[in-house]
Amino acid sequence: MAATAFSGSVATTRTHEYIGNSTLNQDFGNSYLQLTRKGFKIDLGRSGKKQYWTRERGSCLIQASFEATTVSDEVSTPVNSTKVESVKKPREAALILIRHGESLWNEKNLFTGCVDVPLTKKGVEEAIEAGKRISNIPVDMIYTSALIRAQMTAMLAMTQHRRKKVPIVLHNESEQAESWSQIFSQETEKQCIPVVTAWQLNERMYGELQGLNKQETADKYGKEQVHEWRRSYDIPPPNGESLEMCAERAVAYFKEHIEPQLQAGKNVMIAAHGNSLRSIIMYLDKLTSQEVISLELSTGIPMLYIVKEEKYIRRGSPAAPSEATVYAYTKNLARYRQKLDEMVH
Amino acid sequence: MAAMTFHQTIAALQFHGYHQECGNVSMKLITRGFKLETGSSKRELYNGYRKRSHGSIQASSSSFQTSDNKDPSRKSSEAALILIRHGESLWNEKNLFTGCVDVPLTKKGVEEAIEVGKRISNIPIDMIYTSSLIRAQMTAMLAMTQHRRKKVPIVMHDENEQAKAWSQIFSEETKKQCIPVVTAWQLNERMYGELQGLNKQETADKYGKEQVHEWRRSYDIPPPNGESLEMCAERAVAYFKDQIEPQLQAGKNVMIAAHGNSLRSIIMYLDKLTSQEVISLELSTGIPMLYIVKDEKYIRRGSPAAPTEAGVYAYTKNLAKYRQKLDEKRH
Repeated sequence: MAATAFSGSVATTRTHEYIGNSTLNQDFGNSYLQLTRKGFKIDLGRSGKKQYWTRERGSCLIQASFEATTVSDEVSTPVNSTKVESVKKPREAALILIRHGESLWNEKNLFTGCVDVPLTKKGVEEAIEAGKRISNIPVDMIYTSALIRAQMTAMLAMTQHRRKKVPIVLHNESEQAESWSQIFSQETEKQCIPVVTAWQLNERMYGELQGLNKQETADKYGKEQVHEWRRSYDIPPPNGESLEMCAERAVAYFKEHIEPQLQAGKNVMIAAHGNSLRSIIMYLDKLTSQEVISLELSTGIPMLYIVKEEKYIRRGSPAAPSEATVYAYTKNLARYRQKLDEMVH
Repeated sequence: MAAMTFHQTIAALQFHGYHQECGNVSMKLITRGFKLETGSSKRELYNGYRKRSHGSIQASSSSFQTSDNKDPSRKSSEAALILIRHGESLWNEKNLFTGCVDVPLTKKGVEEAIEVGKRISNIPIDMIYTSSLIRAQMTAMLAMTQHRRKKVPIVMHDENEQAKAWSQIFSEETKKQCIPVVTAWQLNERMYGELQGLNKQETADKYGKEQVHEWRRSYDIPPPNGESLEMCAERAVAYFKDQIEPQLQAGKNVMIAAHGNSLRSIIMYLDKLTSQEVISLELSTGIPMLYIVKDEKYIRRGSPAAPTEAGVYAYTKNLAKYRQKLDEKRH
């Protein structure tokens, strides 16, 4: 009980430190207690029910709020926020972006684009490292591109995840594929993390440069032309995509399929490529085309966003296990990690 | 020079040990092997090596065929066929019936795949076939990260026009350095119908141990809305005969990364097993099975040794030479 309270206050203090925006600070301070109850309420729906009953023993406050069905019924909390409406469920969700590591053509310095080249040994290790960094962050849905290097990165990262849920790749390319991959146990289905593969998250299509040696191409077309194709926003290589075109289809997919999941409170992981992820970050951080050109996303190092009330708050890269750093990014994540720790001991 | 002779003798001896008919063939193999090699880019190396060491080979190198019972128009080459069954998946760990549900590998499964790769690192591969399930695809790609050859596996995409157009390669030279990877649902695991996702113990409680045992181990009794081993074999072997066999006949070295039941079906065809025999056939996970394909015969050569195990140097003369080439490139 004391332990819970302690980590509670620790988390709050830390959030106050990190969130520079004072308005956000206010909201967070007020909604802290709301979150506590909501977190408790959500988890009851899951099959891991037993864990949460211990909280009743710990705190009378939480016990009292257990009965409540809507936040607005809360009596004992000094909630002034007008954001509390029984219609909208303001929840918090984690969004993890992972750019895959080294592929066999990266190693050979060839333009890859949408050619489906797998990872090198190093790329495999990078994926496993990324997995260790996100092992304490809940994941409810996974989106990857249609290329094997992103899919492998996602699956390798998940081998390091501490949660007991199992990623299952969804197949809907044909009627048969769909019916053959059906699961016939409700309980097992609940323990699944759906993995959706989408070509819209593919790397930028590099047209007639795909497979060409970078040096050769510079010799052939001239260094400046190649540089322009690679680094401009809207000039595509011959029969290829510009970053603008890539962004169009990637962000459209994000808005249509992924955003609703986040709004519903699902924690999402996206394993994709340099350009598709830059496009999404451009949307999340509201960058200009000038800014996105110079944006570089490290390979194999996950980028964490917290999604709250339609706002995307960038929280940086989760630390490697051996690094001393902040315990968790939000109260929910702190409690999630605590639950994992309790399950182990 | 002495070393070369030594290797040849060993290979020849080993051949004599395993197959009578190979005794006659050994000289042919050497000649044909030489001929094949000259076609490759390491031409100078082999010409020099061979000419220096053996007068007889020099003489026979100019002949196209040495045997009477071979049709000159048919290229009977030797090809390697590697079968790999994927390792532990997350549902294996939880003891759930998996079938065609697309469950990925565990940490252990990943390690098994890398181990496999080490065992086959010296065997040439020209084409890769996998199922459409991620655990087999990952096994194949992880194994290939250990391969010593410089060629790069490229997954083929033909699910629609755009996928095909977008994955095109525009450099001839790069294309030559590719190992096409074909994904085929026909190589998928046996579809387990209404048992997919169920706990093995629960299912035994629900349907009775004997019924479940019958579904799992009989040849032709399918679980409800699922496939029997016979049905699985039908589609897997049909695919093999239709798509993979022609590649092997053309001398391409093929690797198949798939599942317990689809691989058993293929082995049933390769080894001409009866349905009784195939039921009791167990293929180890994470340990590759090598076949040499020669003149439409499938010769099972067992599992390539792990790097640390003392084992036979190579299975055929061609494979010995291939490995030697790899070693020379390194030093």
